[in-house]
Amino acid sequence: MTFGTAEFLKRASLDETTLEIWIEEEWLVPEREAPERQFSEVDLARARLIRDLMEDLGVNAEGVGIVLRLVDQVHGLRSALAEVVAAARR
Amino acid sequence: MKDPYEVLGVERTATSEEIRKVYRRLAKKLHPDINPGDKAGEARFKEISAAYDLLSDEGKRRRFDAGEIDASGAERPRQKYYRDFAGTGSGAAYESRAGFADFADTDELLSELFRRRRRARGADLHFHLAVDFLDAVNGATVHVTLPDGGSLSVTIPAGIEDGQTLRLRGKGARSPGEGEPGDALIQIAVRPHKFFVRESDDIHLELPITLKEAVLGAKIKAPTPTGPVMLTVPKGANTGAILRLKGKGVPRAGRRGDQLVKLKIMLPEQPDPELEALLASWTPKAEYDPRRSMEA
Repeated sequence: MTFGTAEFLKRASLDETTLEIWIEEEWLVPEREAPERQFSEVDLARARLIRDLMEDLGVNAEGVGIVLRLVDQVHGLRSALAEVVAAARR
Repeated sequence: MKDPYEVLGVERTATSEEIRKVYRRLAKKLHPDINPGDKAGEARFKEISAAYDLLSDEGKRRRFDAGEIDASGAERPRQKYYRDFAGTGSGAAYESRAGFADFADTDELLSELFRRRRRARGADLHFHLAVDFLDAVNGATVHVTLPDGGSLSVTIPAGIEDGQTLRLRGKGARSPGEGEPGDALIQIAVRPHKFFVRESDDIHLELPITLKEAVLGAKIKAPTPTGPVMLTVPKGANTGAILRLKGKGVPRAGRRGDQLVKLKIMLPEQPDPELEALLASWTPKAEYDPRRSMEA
């Protein structure tokens, strides 16, 4: 399931400028760029995480980049760990 | 539903600034995306964010204090968290190996595991497709618009059955890494036809005929899935008599089923005085008694 920019802005309650900055910063990587920008549910959940960080948790713009980088690493590690556990079970 | 002041651990007289501070302190500790593996923390986080939702809204807080709404008045189902996607394959685009690249690259077991992961196939996508009865019998090419806006051209092989699944190789989801795309699996539903009914590879058709055609015999036009053919109705054909049109059924594996035509005598829709006059002067023979077998 993917959706276009207008739908994404509505569902994530974002304005276009903010979205451009987030993509520029590589906080968000749209599911597809061509022929038209398409977003997935993952992108949407990630946008909501970024809003939580900035609005509710008081993380500033510099902090968001660092938090996201660490969260991405945690998930990378978690799936690596899951692979290792699965391989060890076999 | 718990009292939102208790949930956050603040006084009823707390200022909105105090409430915000307490919430931030708790949320930093408990936010599910900061604690991807902690299921118990999530329930606690939902509680405090519902409480904060209510108390951070001046209007709702006033109405709650006045007893106009209960503590659940502010609770709304929280959307899915990012962590619900991350690590499931769909979030792979964002995953980072920076946390372990140093030892993964030098360890043979680990680097093989990650190579395999990057080569993982994309997911299979499942679709339903309703096709017309005649397209299913004769075969057709159907264009399907996918939910993401793309389109697929699906070749329906002649003779496909209701419920059968077509596999289109490589038309599924892209691989999250560098692997092959998945397949599109299309389950076919065949729409019923106005007068043809399929049974295995045979086509059944009930064909109405006139009284005259039944009594005197006739050559009439009968529809088949590939177009009308001439059909000889023998003299004295009765309702329920079945005529077989060889090879006019469903094609499959180089052979074709048959079409079975069941005759049904239809009288004129409006009473016909001429027919009435004709039959009034007709005396049936004694052995013409269609209900004979029902007599005790």
